[in-house]
Parts: sequence; structure tokens; C-alpha cells
Amino acid sequence: MAPPTGPRAGTGRAPPRGPRATGGGGGIQKRRANPRTDRDGDVSMDAPAGGSGKVGSTSAARGRGSKDARGGRGAVNSRTSSRVVQNLQNYVNGGPVGKTQSNMATLKIYGMANSKGTGNRDGGLRNLLTFLERKASKEKPVTIGKSLLDGDCVWITVRKDHAPDVLRLNGFSYAGAPLTITETNERMPRPEDKISKDAAETKQKLVAVLARRYNADMKLLDLSSLGTDATLSSMGTFNSKDLAEKAFKVLVVLASQQYKTAAEKREGIQAISLASNGLNDVMQVFTLATSLPDIKRLDLSSNNLDSLSKIAKWQHRFQHLEELHLTGNPITAQPNFAAELIKWFPSLQNINGQIVRSPQEVDEALKGMHPTPLPQFPSNLRDGEANVASIFVQAFFPMFDTDRARLAAEFYDDDSWFSIQAIANSGRNLPWKTYLKYSRNVHKLGEKNPATVQRLFTGGSLIADMWKALPSTRHPSMENPGAWLIDCHTFPNLADPTGHGFATGLLITVNGQFEESDTTENLYGKRTFTRTFILGPSKPSNPPPAHPYRVISDQLTLHDWTPAETPAVQAPVANQVPQVPVANPVPPAGPVVLDEVTKNQLIQEVMKRTGMTPEYSELCLSGTANWNFELALKSFEEQRANLPPTAFMNAV
Amino acid sequence: MSTLTKEEAIIRSSGEAARAFTDWYYTQLNDGKPIASCYVNSNAKYLAASHPPADICINGTVVATPQEWDSLLDQQRLIPFTQQKGKVKYEVEGFDVHVINKDYRFAAPAEIQAATDPKLMQRTEDARIMMVVTVAGSVTYGGKEKGTPPKQHFSDVFVLVPNWDYVTRPKFKGHKRYLVASHTYRAY
Repeated sequence: MAPPTGPRAGTGRAPPRGPRATGGGGGIQKRRANPRTDRDGDVSMDAPAGGSGKVGSTSAARGRGSKDARGGRGAVNSRTSSRVVQNLQNYVNGGPVGKTQSNMATLKIYGMANSKGTGNRDGGLRNLLTFLERKASKEKPVTIGKSLLDGDCVWITVRKDHAPDVLRLNGFSYAGAPLTITETNERMPRPEDKISKDAAETKQKLVAVLARRYNADMKLLDLSSLGTDATLSSMGTFNSKDLAEKAFKVLVVLASQQYKTAAEKREGIQAISLASNGLNDVMQVFTLATSLPDIKRLDLSSNNLDSLSKIAKWQHRFQHLEELHLTGNPITAQPNFAAELIKWFPSLQNINGQIVRSPQEVDEALKGMHPTPLPQFPSNLRDGEANVASIFVQAFFPMFDTDRARLAAEFYDDDSWFSIQAIANSGRNLPWKTYLKYSRNVHKLGEKNPATVQRLFTGGSLIADMWKALPSTRHPSMENPGAWLIDCHTFPNLADPTGHGFATGLLITVNGQFEESDTTENLYGKRTFTRTFILGPSKPSNPPPAHPYRVISDQLTLHDWTPAETPAVQAPVANQVPQVPVANPVPPAGPVVLDEVTKNQLIQEVMKRTGMTPEYSELCLSGTANWNFELALKSFEEQRANLPPTAFMNAV
Repeated sequence: MSTLTKEEAIIRSSGEAARAFTDWYYTQLNDGKPIASCYVNSNAKYLAASHPPADICINGTVVATPQEWDSLLDQQRLIPFTQQKGKVKYEVEGFDVHVINKDYRFAAPAEIQAATDPKLMQRTEDARIMMVVTVAGSVTYGGKEKGTPPKQHFSDVFVLVPNWDYVTRPKFKGHKRYLVASHTYRAY
């Protein structure tokens, strides 16, 4: 969009119409900070958030609901007044009237001028509308849309099917005067249609001042020495002792209005000079920080700023300010003013032509503009000397990918609980369809929802059945520590399975990712998951349980895949078909690389379970089992009869 | 309304407990208020029964006391450049809860531990539970400041145990119903 331009030729209306949203489509709050024009089109000199109230009443947007109108009759309550603002904005920013009002009828009402109701602040409009709504709502509630008081005439819009109800009131007496109501095809006037000639001229002059003070090459808006500007002094509006301050506010607002978007404005005005304006506190020009927050260069030289506190109002504003000039201000005599200022403006590199910070330091400062996440540490496994959690997790995830039925049979008993919760907040990577019918997200379901009982799966065989229905998965290799965050510790006071006293439990929280292939829905992709296990001692049984511990609770939480900082490269999972329980699970292809500690843990566990020597335990693991604990045990069972006595420790 | 079986009543009770706890906990967090009081550490009955301090593991580091976690949260709220307190907003997107001990009596009043009063035992049936809660959601670092604030996913896992002060005096408003015996947090 163009930089500030001169006045347009031959215009009967002021070119910029009304307050323009800087960002396009912002909310009420945002526009409040924008300039207002009163009914004459003058830029209001009030503080930005103040507003004269004239806007709301003259353009006469008004409460919609008849109930509200009745309740709030006479007094403008806050709900109504915010709606008034909203209506006004819809009105001012609305597109072609025909389009927005296609099912609305426009009515003109004459006669109120003769009534007794005109003494009110809004010219009696509010009361009239309440009257009309009440009288028209005989058969069905009728609400009035937009409304406008224009001299003798009141304009309103109502839904087309409600128009007859209002037209029926033609000739009714209101506050001592008969009303004339007619339908019209004319367009309801806009507030700026009524802008006065004087105001338009004033605006043109100001835009001309802007154009003269704008340097397109430097993208500089020079607002220096406003007090001696001939044009400004000649304009009566500004003929006061606060000339510079007042002129500044109007000019900054007008300058902002010349751009349609924040990006265009940021590009168009990169530098501002406020030199020689006699400023003794930036408070006088504070609105620069809200109107033009993205400027890169600011010249405040030759003013009367004498201490940091006089600039403090702008502290932590102007995040992109790189260059600041304060020459000719008493503050420059203070020893540490530059060192303090760079603490206030993260991008500031140059003060009075001196380099005060390097671009690297600026990067660092900008990074520190938000609260910082706590540092991330690797897995924290405090699972006691037996390394139960490490061994469990090593066995669990490969088996979940390849043989879920066996997994459930080995680690789950009749009292184990399993549930899934899907955090289905976007599904942009992979739809959630398959999981939603199982999702036990108590937060979303509500704790009284029967689904919280139905979606809780109890007992190994039920859990195994449910797992069959889930898409197949492939978890990353356990040897890729960057792909897993596993935290684990023991805790007291689980019920002892023998029924006496307490037992120690193990809490394992696994955060990671897996690849998923849903062959029924033909969906493939990745998901991030959190899986919480509670392990406790196995119940005594005959034959003895497969493991000394069992899964008491297994909670699987799924959410959208978020790329890890160093995404692990994985082959696509598409052709995997582990859905059917596989009798002989195939070990993962390729040699498994394990660190020595993990290997030793596995060897120790195999020794414990089989009674074999360390050498034979290692042989068993490193053979076809390929360091898969469960496969090693299986091959041990198969080969047991063929093993020499020396393979066992107690035989020595 | 149909009556619930004992099992269903316990499941319902755990859901309500998890709701009450997460509502309180994340409101405190978002308001920048301390949360140390929800851990077993400060409870007289658990102290008297020599319950170990709550195990608190934050992003893979063990934090010794709930107060230390509070000060870590304060540190997290700090905007480094301005040295002012910013806003860190946790938004819960889901939680799930499992009961992991349906007859929890540790540190309970003597009459509950001895289970001599069948009426009392029946009345406290859905309160004597130990549970594990997994919470998932998003955490946004900052809001008011310019630019896009960093955003992460978080998971919180709590082991909750009954607050016997509440079980014995349920009408007393100041009591939390359950206390945290273990807490594992990750944000990534």
C-alpha cells in the first residue's frame, strides 16, 4: 500500500472513511485503540480508549434483542453498549449493504422529531426503538437490526418477514406525535456520509502534512519540530500550547490509517523522528508505541528528556527498535544510560551512533522475550537393582508390535486394567477414527459417563482382544535413546497379592512415538504417545506366573505426532501385517546394537530365569534371539534338553 | 437412576477425584500459585506413618521437595529479558485414571486399618483408593509479549492416595480429597 499521500482531487468526501481496522477483522478491544471520528468526521482528540459516546448514539447501532432492549431501557448497560460498538463496527466495516442485508428490509420512520422524546441524549432513538419492538412483537418477537437517526428521519432494518409487523404501526402515536413508517429501497446512510466539509478539509490538510514529512527512500516519517510547522500552526484546531503533542497524536493515527495491514505499515514506516519537539517525558507521545510498535529507528534528539524514568513508559515496547538517537537531551550526561536502555529494548544495537550490542546479543535477547521451558533431561530409570523396568520395557514394545496376544498373556492377569485416551485435538497428521470409540478421556467424557466403565478393559484376555482391533504399530528401536523418554521409580503401598500387607509398585512412564498402519482404514503415519504402567508383584499361581511381576495398570495416551528435534529416520511401515497373532515372531531385521550395560542386564535376567551360566546365557541371547529377551527364553525352552550340564550354574 | 455396582462406584469415584484434583492443580499453576500443599509431604498423618516423601520427577530430574517444584515453576514463569513474571498456561486436553489399590489403608485412622466397623468400611469403600492419573495437554510459555510464544505438549502422571483428614471430616472445606504420592512430569 502506498505511503501517506496528498489530498485526493475533487473529493466531496474525506478519503479515509472512519476508523479502519489496522489488522483487518480484529476484535472490539483492538479497535478501541484506534482513532474515532465523531459525527463531524473530526478525529477525536480524546485518549484512545475514551471515546465520546457520540459514535454509538448518532450512528445509532443498537441492541438487537427486544428483551435486552426492554431490560436496558433508559440506561446503556455494558452488554448493550458493547453490542452497540459491535453493531457500529459491522456497520462501518460492512461490505455492500445489499449483500449484508439481503434478507433485511430497510424502513424509514418520520414523526419522532415532533415527539416529546427528543430531549434525550441520543435524541430519543433508544426509547423509540424499544417502543417499536414492543408494539410490533404482538404475534412473534420482532427485533430491530441496525438503526440510525438522521435529522428528522429514523432508519431501521428488520428481517423481511418482520417488516409487516413494524409497518402495521404506521400512524401510531409515539410520545404525543404520530409516526409515519414506510419501507424504502434506499440505502441506509453511513455515518461518514455525513462528514462535514470542514472536517474533510482538516483531514486533507493533515494528510498533506504527512505526505510532505514522509521520506519514502528512508521509510522515515519525520515528525520533528511540529511546533513550528507552518501548516499546523495555521490550523485553528491546533492553535494551542500543546500543539506538538496534539498534532503528533493525530498524525500518528492518520499515518497508521494509510496502510491496510500491519505488515504494510511495518514495511512502510520503519523510522520516526520526534526531534526538537520539546518533549520532557515520552508519555506525551506514548501512543507511538501502540500505533507504530514495529519501528526500527527512532530519533528523539534535541528534546528535554533528562532521566531514564522519562523514557520508562516505553520500556519493553518497540521490540524491533535497532537504532535510537538521544543527542541533545540532558539524559546523555548520565553515565550508564546506554547500558540501561539496552535492557529495555531487545533489538537495540545503536545509540547515538555508537554500537552498543552485537547482532548475536540481540538474538539472545529476543529469545528471552518469553518464559522458557524447563530443561529436558534424558530418561530417568530408578527401578532398583533388578532393572525390572528396563527389562520390561525392552520386552514390551517389540512384542506389542509383533505379538500382542502373547504379550497380554505373559504380563497381564485377570485384574489388569488397560485403557486408551486419544487427545484428538487436530488429527491433521492422522485421523483419530479408529481410536475414538475406545477413547477413555475422562476429561472429555465426564466422570459420570457410563463410557468410562465400558472403555476400561479388565483382564488379559479382554485386553488382548481389544489390542487386536487396534492398528498395528512399530515403535522405534530401544537402541535409539533419543526416541524415548522413560521415567521410572518404585513406590510403596500397593496391595500385596497374597492379601497381607503392602507391596512395592513400579511406576513407568514412557513418552515416545510409533509408526502406525491401519490396514482397514488404509491410514499410515506417526503418533506421539505417553504410556503409563503400574507394575506390581504377580499373584501366586500354579503353574507359577511367567514373570514375578505383572501389569496392574496400563494407560495409553495418544496425541498428534510432533516432530522430535532429531527425528529418527525410519522405513515405512506399510507392509507390516502383525495384526494376526504370529506364532513365531520374527526378530527385528538387522543386527541389534546394544550397549554393554543393557547386555549385562539381559544376561543377568536370563541367568536368573534359566539357571544357566553367564556364557551360555549370552550365547542364548546373541544367537537367533538377537538380544530379544523373550525369544531367548523361548529358544532356551526349546533347546533345554540338548544343553550340556555345564551350561547350568548349579551343575558346576 | 440405577444404582452402581461396587466396582462402578469405585470407578466413578476415581473419575471425580481425578477431576477435582486436576481442576485445582492446573488452576493453581495457571494462576501462578503454589501447589506444594497437595503432596503427601506436608500431611501429618502420612508423616506420622513414615510415608516416604512424594517422588517428584520433572523432565527427568528428581526434585527433592514440593517447594523445590514450586520454585522451578516460578523460574519457568520468568521472562529472561525483562526479568518479569510472565504467564505459563497449562491446558488440560485429557486425563485418564485407574484405581491401583482398591483397599488402601496406609496411614488411615486406626478403626479403618483394623476394619472392625463394617458400616464405616462400607461408607469409605469408594474413598479408600489409590489411583494413577495420566494427564495430557499443552503448555504455552507467555502470552502478552510480542511474537509467537513457545508451545509444548505435556504429560503429567500422578499417584494419588486418600487424604484421611478428608475421609474422616468430609465436610471440612479446607481439605483436599487426595494427596500426591508420586509425580512424573514431561513437557516436550
